[in-house]
Amino acid sequence: MGRRVAIPVGVSALAVAAAVFTAVSGQQAAREGASRPGPVMTAGAKDCWRARHLGKAEQAERCFEKLLDSRDPAERAEGAWGIGDYKSANSQFKQAAAASPKDANVRVRWGRLFLERFNAAEAAGLFQEALDIDGKNAHALLGMALAMAESFSPKALEMGFKAVEEDPDLVEAHELLANLALEDSDTKRAEAQARQALALSPEAFDAVAVKAAIEALADRSPDALLEQVWKVNPHYGQAHAIIAHHLVLNRRYLDGIAHYRKAIERDPRNWAARSELGVNLMRVGEDAEARQQLELCFQNKYDSNPTVNSLRLLDSYANFETFETPKTILRLHKKEAALLRLYFQPELEKAVATFEKKYKMTIGQPVRLEVYPDHEDFAVRTMGMPGLGALGVTFGHVVAMDSPSGRKPGTFHWASTLWHELSHVFVLTATRHRVPRWFTEGFAVHEETEAAPDWGDRMTPEIVAAIAAKQLLPVAELDRGFIRPKYPQQVVVSYFQAGRICDYIQTKWSYDKLLDMMRLFGQRKTTPEVIQQALGMTPEAFDKEFLAWVEREAGTAVSKAVEWRKGMTGLATLKRASDYAAIVEQGNRLIAIYPDFVEPGSAYEAVAEACLELKNKDGARRALEQYASKGGKTPESLKKLAGLQEEAGGKAEAARTLEKINYIYPMNGEAMHRKLGELSLDLGRTQAAVREFEAVVAGGPMDAAAAHYDLARAYVKAGDKGKAAEQVFLALEAAPGYKPAQRLMLELNADKGGRKENE
Amino acid sequence: MKRLFLACCLAWPAAAATHYLTISGLGGEKDYEQRFAAQAREVEKLLEGSGGEVNVVTVSGAGATREKIKAAFESIAAAAKPADAFVLMLIGHGSYDGSAYKFNIPGPDLSGAELAALCDRVPAGRQLVVNTTSASGGSLEALQRPKRAVILATKAGTERNATVFARYWVEALRDPAADTDKNEVVSALEAYRYADRKTVEFYETNKRLATEHAVLEDTGAGEAVRAPSTANGQGLLAASFPLLRIGGAQRAAANPAKRELLARKERAEQRIDKLKYEKAAMPLEDYRRQMQAALLELARLQEELDK
Repeated sequence: MGRRVAIPVGVSALAVAAAVFTAVSGQQAAREGASRPGPVMTAGAKDCWRARHLGKAEQAERCFEKLLDSRDPAERAEGAWGIGDYKSANSQFKQAAAASPKDANVRVRWGRLFLERFNAAEAAGLFQEALDIDGKNAHALLGMALAMAESFSPKALEMGFKAVEEDPDLVEAHELLANLALEDSDTKRAEAQARQALALSPEAFDAVAVKAAIEALADRSPDALLEQVWKVNPHYGQAHAIIAHHLVLNRRYLDGIAHYRKAIERDPRNWAARSELGVNLMRVGEDAEARQQLELCFQNKYDSNPTVNSLRLLDSYANFETFETPKTILRLHKKEAALLRLYFQPELEKAVATFEKKYKMTIGQPVRLEVYPDHEDFAVRTMGMPGLGALGVTFGHVVAMDSPSGRKPGTFHWASTLWHELSHVFVLTATRHRVPRWFTEGFAVHEETEAAPDWGDRMTPEIVAAIAAKQLLPVAELDRGFIRPKYPQQVVVSYFQAGRICDYIQTKWSYDKLLDMMRLFGQRKTTPEVIQQALGMTPEAFDKEFLAWVEREAGTAVSKAVEWRKGMTGLATLKRASDYAAIVEQGNRLIAIYPDFVEPGSAYEAVAEACLELKNKDGARRALEQYASKGGKTPESLKKLAGLQEEAGGKAEAARTLEKINYIYPMNGEAMHRKLGELSLDLGRTQAAVREFEAVVAGGPMDAAAAHYDLARAYVKAGDKGKAAEQVFLALEAAPGYKPAQRLMLELNADKGGRKENE
Repeated sequence: MKRLFLACCLAWPAAAATHYLTISGLGGEKDYEQRFAAQAREVEKLLEGSGGEVNVVTVSGAGATREKIKAAFESIAAAAKPADAFVLMLIGHGSYDGSAYKFNIPGPDLSGAELAALCDRVPAGRQLVVNTTSASGGSLEALQRPKRAVILATKAGTERNATVFARYWVEALRDPAADTDKNEVVSALEAYRYADRKTVEFYETNKRLATEHAVLEDTGAGEAVRAPSTANGQGLLAASFPLLRIGGAQRAAANPAKRELLARKERAEQRIDKLKYEKAAMPLEDYRRQMQAALLELARLQEELDK
C-alpha cells in the first residue's frame, strides 16, 4: 500500500541530511583535523584541514599542495583530496591501504572520501573493514553513522552513540548526534550534544549551527550565535546550510532557501549548499534560478545524484504542458495531458474551492500541481534522489504527485492523493508551515475519506498487527513514527493513527476543533499544549481514550486477527478446489471479521467469483458492491460490478461504479470510457458523456472514427452542434465510408440548410 | 496509398474464395490447452459467420497431429484456386533452438520449413500466415515469400515466453472497432494493428516488461517490422488482404442498377484520398472546405446506394 507524505520526511529528509553532512567539500575533514588531534590522519594533513576549517583558504591550499610531495601515500591522498583531485586521492588511498593492511585509519579516511563523493555504500564497506581491524575505532563508528544516515537507517543514532562511547571527546560525533536529535525535533538532546561538542572545542562550528538552527526554528534570530563562528571563520557558510537543512525538514522551504543563499554568499564554493538551494528552488517552483544554481554546481564537478537528476528533470519539463486558471496551475506530461486534464483539472478546482470554504481561508496564489508518469521523475522532484515510495508531496503551494499511469492499476487512488496533498497546502499555509508532521498528515488522511467515504487507505493487516501489539505511539511522540521509524511499517501505521486521531476528534468533539488545533499549532504551541487547550485534557488522557476508541473501531479485525489469517489460507485452498459454495460461506464469514480488507485477493472478490460460477449474479453484484463501498480499487473487479449492475437494470449504479475507476486508473480504458459515455447519454448526463467520449478521443483510440462519432453524438445531445459538426468531420476524415457518421453529417448539414449551400 | 489498398480489395474477384486453416497446438498445461482450443473455436465461429465464400478448417488440441495437419493442408490445396486467398493461423507454443523454429504439436513438432512447404503446396495466389506462438519470430525466414504476408507474435525466436497476442488477434476478428476505415472489411493489417496495440497495452497496464513484440513482413524478402508503413515498404499486401468481411460491401457490387452510383462513390472516395495527400500543401481552410464537400457528397451517394 502506498502512502503520501506531505514533506520530504523520513527517507528523503535523511537523504538531505546526509547530503549536508557528508557531501560538503572538505568540511567534515576540516572539523576532524581542527577539533582534536588523533591517530586518524597524519599530522601534516591535520594542519591543512584545520587551516581550511578556519577559513584560511590560501594557507590550506599551499598546505595540501605540499602534501602531494610526501613519501606517505596516505598523506599524498589527503593532499590530492584537499585540492579537489578526487581520482588521484582515491588511487593514493588504495595504495596506502595495500601497503598497510592492518591500518584501520587509512580505511576510515578513504571511506570519508567516498562519503564526500556521493558513494555511501563504498564508504560503509571501508568503515566496516576498519572496524574489522579495530572494532573500537571511534572514527570508523562515526563514519558508519554518517553512512547509515545517508542510507536512511535509524541505526545512525546507535552508531553515533557507540562512537562517543568509544571516544567521548570525538567532537564530530557529538555534532552529528546534535543534528540527528534536532531532526527528531528533540531540541533538549540537540542542545546537550551541541554543548558537549563546544565544551570539547570552541571550533565546533556545526554545534554552534545546530544551536542557531534551534533559534531559527523557534522564530528567534540565530545571528548572535552565528557571530561566534564569523569571528573565527567569516566564510563558514556551512553554518547557514545546517540551519537551512533543519528549516527545510520542518517544511519552511522559503526560510531554508534564504539560509542556503546566505551559505553560498559566505562560501561560494560550498557546492552542497548550492545544490540544495537549487533543489529547494525547484520545490517552490523557481525553476529558472534552480537550473542556474544546479548547472553551476555541475560545471564545478559537483555531480551528486540530486544535482544531476534534478537537471535531467528540468530538461524533461519540455515534455510537459501547463494549464492555468486563476487559482490553479496544472502541469501534465504531454503524452497524457489531453486525457488527464479532463479529470485532474475539475478535481483540483473542486478541492481548492472545498478547502477554501472548510478552512475559511484562501492560499493567496495559485496552487501548482505537477503530475509525473514516471515515478523516478516524481521522486527526483520531491527529494532530489530517486527511490522514494511516496505517491504525492507538497512544498507549500506546489504539489507533485505520481500519475495514475506510473502505478499498477488498483494500487493508487489519484484523486484521494490529490485531496490529501491539497489539504497540506491549506494546513501549511494556515500555520505558516509551523505544524507537527502528525497533525498535517492526520488531517490530510482525514480529508480523504471526508471527500468520499470509499477514498483513502484502509486498515491493512500490518496496521491490525500494530494495534494488536499495542504499537501505536502516544500523540505527543507521534512525529517519531514518521521521521525515524523503528519497524518497517511504522510510517504507514503512523499515517493511519494520525488520520484516526483526527477522525476521533471530529467524532467526539467537532470538525471545528480540528481547525482550532490547526490555529494553535500556527501559534507555535506544542502538541501537549494544543491537546490541553483545544480538547481540555492531558495528552496522556487523550491517548487513553483514543486507544480504547480505535480498538473498538477496529473490532474483530484485531480481536480475531489470527482466525481471519487462518481463514484466508483456507479460502485459498477452497479456491484451488473450486468449491464454490464453500467459498461463498467462508468468504462471507471472513468479510464479517475484517470488512476493511479490500486488497488484491480479498474475500469480496472471491465470493463474487464463486457466485458467478454458481450462476448467482445477484450474490456476485452484492459482494462487489460491498467491496466498492469499502474502497476496493481493482479496476477489473469494478468493471465486473458495473456490468452486473447494468445487467440488473441499474444504469445509474453502473455509471457510478465506472466513475470510481476514473479516479483510480483512467488510462488504457477506451472501452470503459465508451461504456460510461453511453450510460451517461442514456441517463441524460450529457456533460459527463462529452467528457467520457473526449477521454476516448484523448486516449488515441484504435477506432478513431467511432470515437469522434460518439463525441459528435454527445455534443448533439448537449446542444452544441458546432462541436458536433467538427467531430463528425474528424470521424469521416478517418473513415470516409463510416455510415452512422455519414448520416449524422447529413442531419447536421440539413439542419443548417447546408444541402443547397454545398450543392 | 490507402485508396490503392481499397481498390485492390474491391478488385478481388467476386467468385474468389478464402480458405482458412487454424491450428491450435500443444498447450502443455491444462490452462493453455483450454485457452488455445477456445481461441481456435472462436476463430472458427467468427469466420464461418462472416459470410461470403469461405472454407474454414480447424485442427485443434490432441487432434492436431502431424498427419491430421498435413491432411488439412492437402484438402485445402485440392480446393484452392490461384484466384483464392489462404490464411493459416497458428495458436499455441513454439520453440527456437537458435537456427530453426518449431511449432509444438502432439508427437514430433512441425518445423517452420515444413509449415512453409505445406503452405507452398496451396495454390491460392495470396496467402497470410499468422503465427501467434512463442518464439514465432524464428519462423520468419522459413515462411516469408512473395505474395505472402507473415504476422508473428514475437520479433525473434528468442522471445520464448507464452504470448498474449493470440487473444487479441481473435478479439480483432470479433471487435468491429478493428475495422478502422469502416469499409466493413477487416484487413490483415487492421487486425495486426489492433492485436499489436492491445498486446502493448496489456503489458503496460500490468506493469510487466513486454516479452513479445509482434512484427509483420509482406514483401517476401525484407525484415519484419513492428510498424508497417509506406516508409519501410511493409504493409501493402496486408492492407489489401481482406481477412474478414463484416458487412454488405459485396452485395452492392452485385446490383447492376447501382453500378453508376458505385462508380460515382468510387470517384468521391478517390477525391477524398487525393485531398488527404494534398493536405500538407494546402491552406487549412481550403482543405477543410473541400474535404467537407467531398465527405458530404460521399455520404449522399451512400444514402442513395442504401435505399
